[in-house]
Amino acid sequence: MIAHAVFFYLFSFIAIVSAIMVTAARNTVHSVFFLILDFISISCLFIMIGAEFLGMIMLIVYVGAVAVLFLFVVMMLNVAQQKNQWFGSSKSSSHIPVGLLVSLIIFFELIIVIGGWKYKPDLLDSKTIIISETTTNTHSLGNVLYTDYIHLFQLSGMILLVAMIGAIVLTFRQREGLKRQSYISQISREKKDGVQVVEVPNNKGVKIDV
Amino acid sequence: MMNLDLIFPEIFLSLSIMTLLMIGVFKKKSENLVYNLSIITLAILFAMVVNLFTINEQFIFNYSYKIDNLSSFMKALTIISGIFVMISSSTYLKSLNILKIEYPILILSSILGMMVMISSNDLIVFYLGLELQSLALYVLASFNRDNILSSESGLKYFVLSALSSGLLLYGCSLVYGFSGSTNFIDIANTSTNIEYGVIFGLVFLIVGLAFKISAVPFHMWAPDVYQGSPTSVTLFFAALPKIAALTVFIRFLFTPFINLIDQWQTIIVFISIASMIFGAIAAIGQSNLKRLIAYSSIGHMGYALAGLASGTNEGIQSSVIYISIYLVMTLAFFSCLFMMRKKNVFYEDIQDLSGLSANHPILSISLLIILFSLAGIPPLAGFFAKFYIFMSVIEQSMYFLAIVGLLSTVLAAFYYLRLIKIIYFDKPKQTFEKDHNFGLRLTLAVSTGILVLYFIYPGLLNELVSKIIVI
Repeated sequence: MIAHAVFFYLFSFIAIVSAIMVTAARNTVHSVFFLILDFISISCLFIMIGAEFLGMIMLIVYVGAVAVLFLFVVMMLNVAQQKNQWFGSSKSSSHIPVGLLVSLIIFFELIIVIGGWKYKPDLLDSKTIIISETTTNTHSLGNVLYTDYIHLFQLSGMILLVAMIGAIVLTFRQREGLKRQSYISQISREKKDGVQVVEVPNNKGVKIDV
Repeated sequence: MMNLDLIFPEIFLSLSIMTLLMIGVFKKKSENLVYNLSIITLAILFAMVVNLFTINEQFIFNYSYKIDNLSSFMKALTIISGIFVMISSSTYLKSLNILKIEYPILILSSILGMMVMISSNDLIVFYLGLELQSLALYVLASFNRDNILSSESGLKYFVLSALSSGLLLYGCSLVYGFSGSTNFIDIANTSTNIEYGVIFGLVFLIVGLAFKISAVPFHMWAPDVYQGSPTSVTLFFAALPKIAALTVFIRFLFTPFINLIDQWQTIIVFISIASMIFGAIAAIGQSNLKRLIAYSSIGHMGYALAGLASGTNEGIQSSVIYISIYLVMTLAFFSCLFMMRKKNVFYEDIQDLSGLSANHPILSISLLIILFSLAGIPPLAGFFAKFYIFMSVIEQSMYFLAIVGLLSTVLAAFYYLRLIKIIYFDKPKQTFEKDHNFGLRLTLAVSTGILVLYFIYPGLLNELVSKIIVI
C-alpha cells in the first residue's frame, strides 16, 4: 500500500509540475513537451487505479493526436522562433535538452507503471475500487455504452456532427477563378477544339480567340 | 421496453437535421429551401411537444431523462421563439449575405441541445446537451466570418464558455464524487446531511450556469458577444439559451439540491441582486442598441433568479412567466432593430433612433410599448412579470431582495425612458426603408400585441404555468 501511495504522489507531482510548466515555459515548444508529459503522467495515474482503458485512450488520443497536432501547429506558426529572439537566447537547438529531459521522465514513468502492472500486480493495486477479474475495462464499457447510455452515445455523435459543420462553415472558402483538372474534358478533347488553321496575311498578323 | 414516444420530438429533430443537411449538400443553391423547411420542422416539432404537455411526470433511460410539465412548457417556449427568430431574421441574413445552408442547421442543432438540457435528469445528459447547444452557438456567433467584430465575439464566447464549462465539470465531478451518482434523484437522496464536498460542487455548478444566463458577476462576455454577432444571432442568444439555462437552474436547485436550500439561497439572492443593480447602472452609458439590450438582459435575468431565490413553487412559476414575457419583449425589440434598414445597411446606434416618430409612426409606437414594457410600466405585460416575481419574493418575507429589485427597476426605467425621449422629442435624422417582409411584420405585430393585451386575460398564460409543479 505504501508503494502505491509513493507512486501516486510521484505521478501527481510530475503531473502538477508539468501543468505549471506548460503555462510558465517561455518557449512554446517546451510548453508542448510539458503538455505531453502531463498527459502521460495522468494516464499513468489512470492505469494505476485499474482503468487501463482510460489510460490507453489518454495516451492514444491526447498524446498521439492532440499534443502532436499542437507541436505541428507551434512549429508551423514559428512562434517558438520569435520567442527565442525576444528573450535573446541562442537561436536553435535549445529544444533538445528540454525535450530530452521530458522524454527521460516519460521513459521512467512508463517503466514503473507498465513494469509494475506486468510483473508485480499487487504493487500498484488499489483496494478501494472493485475490479472484476474476468471482464476487461473495454468489455464492460462496451456493455453499458450501447445499452444504458445509448442516448448519450448518440448525442455525442450529434456533437461531433455539429463540430464538423462548424469547422467547415468557418474555414471553407469558395475561391474564384481556380483552375481545376478535369480528366474527362482532357481525354475527350479533339483536334478541332485545340488546333486552328489560319491563313496569315503578310505583315499583318492575326488575332486568335482562346 | 421504454416509452420512446416521450423522446419522439428529439428523435424527429435529429433526423430532420441530418435530412436537411443532405438536402443542403446535394442540392445546389438550396439555402432558401433549407431555411423554410427548418421553419416547418420547428412547427411540426412544436405540435409534437405540445402534445406531451398534459401527461404526468415520466422518466426514460434509467431515470436520466425527465418529461414533465416544466420540460414540455419550456421546450414549447424554446421552439416557438425559435420559429419567430427564424421568420423575423431572413431578410437580415440575405442582405448581409450570410444565409448559407449551415445557418438553419446550426440553429436546429442548438435547439436540440436545449431540449436535451431542459429534459435532463442526470449530470451527463445535462452536460452533453449543454455542449451541443453551445458548440452550435460558438459557430453562429462568428458566422459572419469576414467581419472582424463577429469573429472576435465568437472567439471570446468560445474561450470564456470553455472556462465556464470547465468550472461546471469540476462541480459535476465533485458532486458525483461525494454523492456517488450522477442522477439528480439519487443525488437528492444521498445529500440529505450537509457535506462540504457537495456544497463545493454546487457552488461551481451555479457559477457555470450563471455564466450561461450571463448573470453578474459572470456577465463579462455578454455585451461584446451581443454587439459583435450578427443581429439575428444576437436575438437567438438573447432569447433561447436563457430559457434552457433557467430550466436547468430550476432543475438543479429543486431536484438534486433541494435539501441544501439554505446553502444555495444566499448565493442566488446575491447573484440576483448584483445582476439587477448592474444591469440597471451599466446600461446607462451605452450608445449601441445591441449592447444596451445585453445589459438590459443581464438585469432581467436578475429578476428571473429572484423568483427562484424564494424557493417556492410560486416563485418558480413567477420566474417561468417572467422568462416567457421577457422572450416576447426581446423578440419585439429585435424586430424593431431589423426594421431599421436602409439600402441593406442595418442601423443599431441610439442616435439613429433620433426623431423616429416623425417618419415611422407605427415603428415608434411599437418601440414605445416595448420600452415601457421592459421598464415595467402598467398595464403592459412587463409590469405583470415583475409584479408576480415581487409577490412571490415578499410572501417569503425576503424584503431586502424585493426593495433592491424595485429600486433597480426605477434606475433601469431611466435609460428606457431616455430612448423614448430620443425617439419622440429629438430632431429627425434618418428615414428607413418601409418594405418589410411578412414574417418580420408578423413577429412585431404578434409580440407587441401580446405585450399590450396580456392584462385583459392574464389567466391564459398563468393557468398554463400553474400546471408546472416542481416541488
